[in-house]
Amino acid sequence: MTDQNWSILIPEIFLFIWALFIFGLDLGIKRKNPKILGYSAMAGLTITGILLAIFNGGILFKGMFQSDQLAIFFKVIFIGSAFMAVGSSFDIASEKIRHHRGEYYGLILFSTVGMMFLSSASELITLYIGMELTTIPLYVLAAFYKDDKLSVEAGLKYLIVGAFSSAILLYGLSLLYGLTGTTDIVTMKINLSLVFLSYGKIGPGLILAMIMVIAGIGFKLALVPFHMWAPDVYQGAPTPITAFLSVGSKAAGVVAFARIFVNGLIAFASDVMKPLDWGIIVAILAAAAMILGNITALRQRNIKRMLAYSSIAQIGYVMVGMVAASELGIASVGYYMFIYLFANMGAFTIATIFNDKTGSDGIISYSGLSKTSPIFAAYMSIFLLSLAGIPPLGGFAAKYLVFAAGIQAGYTWLVIVALLTSVVSLYYYANIIKTMYFSAEEPTIKIHPSFPANLVLLISVIGIILFGIFPGPILDWALESAKIFAF
Amino acid sequence: MNEYAAVLIFLFVGIGVVLFTFFLARLVRPSNPYKAKNQNYECAEPPIGSGWIQFNNRFYIFALIFVVFDVEAIFLFPWAVAFGQLGLYALIEMIIFIVILLFGLFYAWKKGVLKWV
Amino acid sequence: MLQYLALASILFAIGIFGVLTRRNTIGILMSLELMFNAVNINLVTFNKYIGPDNLTGQIFATFVIVVAAAEAVVGLAIVLLLYRNWRGIEVDRINLMKW
Repeated sequence: MTDQNWSILIPEIFLFIWALFIFGLDLGIKRKNPKILGYSAMAGLTITGILLAIFNGGILFKGMFQSDQLAIFFKVIFIGSAFMAVGSSFDIASEKIRHHRGEYYGLILFSTVGMMFLSSASELITLYIGMELTTIPLYVLAAFYKDDKLSVEAGLKYLIVGAFSSAILLYGLSLLYGLTGTTDIVTMKINLSLVFLSYGKIGPGLILAMIMVIAGIGFKLALVPFHMWAPDVYQGAPTPITAFLSVGSKAAGVVAFARIFVNGLIAFASDVMKPLDWGIIVAILAAAAMILGNITALRQRNIKRMLAYSSIAQIGYVMVGMVAASELGIASVGYYMFIYLFANMGAFTIATIFNDKTGSDGIISYSGLSKTSPIFAAYMSIFLLSLAGIPPLGGFAAKYLVFAAGIQAGYTWLVIVALLTSVVSLYYYANIIKTMYFSAEEPTIKIHPSFPANLVLLISVIGIILFGIFPGPILDWALESAKIFAF
Repeated sequence: MNEYAAVLIFLFVGIGVVLFTFFLARLVRPSNPYKAKNQNYECAEPPIGSGWIQFNNRFYIFALIFVVFDVEAIFLFPWAVAFGQLGLYALIEMIIFIVILLFGLFYAWKKGVLKWV
Repeated sequence: MLQYLALASILFAIGIFGVLTRRNTIGILMSLELMFNAVNINLVTFNKYIGPDNLTGQIFATFVIVVAAAEAVVGLAIVLLLYRNWRGIEVDRINLMKW
């Protein structure tokens, strides 16, 4: 019982204790120095990152918790997104949430701990607990502006849809447990293969289980047709939380999907398994997500809603890499999420700062930004162009890899859909840039972000450009992390 | 099945005793209803308003805190059952668990949630 | 075994129906609890018939109960906020955002 390698759990334990510490600090300092909580949250995340570099590799609790390359890769994304969400929160923290700052930062850290657990889970119970630890703080955070009707509505919608989807996911997981007699994903794979080999078929229970798990995780990922909640929640929630939702919680969903399907149910991703092939179902959902997300984004007037639909479309692109279910596929998913982290967090950070200054999320109010704040207009253009996938930015390399993986796996039709829809997406991303640079209206607003927000923006821009031009190191790492699935 | 038969007999006897006492009381007591007697009983005072009032929603917050701590106690049961085999290791884990819960209670307390404002 | 699974699936279906049709937020939360408890019945049943000496299913059910309680508490807290902002908790009034 005690002869286990506890050290791999140190980053999570540290971050958890640090979150408790922030709660305590909030009680202690009252409101003398409002920024200390935010800085200590950022410091805690940085230290967690360092600890993660030291203590990794190994398994704990008989394989329930494993710290492999895939987990570490995604943990870096989670820590990065939490870091950026905290960094972009300083302005709202000094104004709108003055009395609950400790809870705000503490809950972000709790949610990050949940994501980290989720990415390490190789077993259904741990996976479920990690997923709930991720989402329950996010329900609270979405409704954090207690007197703002939009925020409360967002919290309610997120809660109902989130709990509904986790119930569906759980039903699917319980069926998987019933069919295989185990909750360990690798044992599950072996048991299913044994049953399949000896009887030549597997009953409809597995189809039901797979559909329910896809639906459950699809809700978390906001895959079409499970996306209805996303625009409302994204619009109503505090903007840094929206950013965290759209990157951190999505990456968590992606890693859960990869663990269950690409690791556990990989045997059922081929044409031979006709009715049991989850690949084709997910491919259809991905195509629907790309088409619907991009087309609905065209008519949005609110930047947060537009980014919400754009993120629905983006998850469609990620799923192209996922259905490829190959080493390149998983690596491209990882790389895509890594670039998406920078681009989306950056875009939402600009939206946060802008909203804080003007109180408006309308795209039209960005007109003339290039004249008053040329640097931020340039930043925003870089983020949006990266999301659209324009070379030489990171988004291009990411899309290229995902499409290559899709073609390699024989999903040519899906890649064609993806290519066509990314042309459509260019229109609405470019529309914002046009508004910022070529609008006839007189600019009135000048934005001055706080130091941490500036830092976040700078990191994002450097990340996008650097990893766009030199995708090598991240890609190698992503390929390394994809090896754990043993294709 | 025999153990369950005992439960069933116990149930019937229990119901029977209650019904029997009611019946007995009805035989013995005088029947003399009047208005004051038929009123709702509220600490010897005439009742004010309906019994179906909305409770103050401060109770609600206490209830929320209670629900969390109440349900977390579920983890104590399997732990207590297997305590003999688990030993010190599990004791320390459970202490950590309870300390975390207590921290939550402490936080709520310090934030003034438990105060009746 | 089949009757337990049937019970669970019926409860689950009632829960889904409740979530989709209820107007009162508390009613929705109750329906969600119903769905979680249907899953618990499933887990405990599978545990009994697959491997009674291995308690995985029951442990899973324990965790589900606790997480469902945490979810319900957050839900009820949000209901309190709804009441403060809208003076009512009917979901069809809470529709500031559409499309």
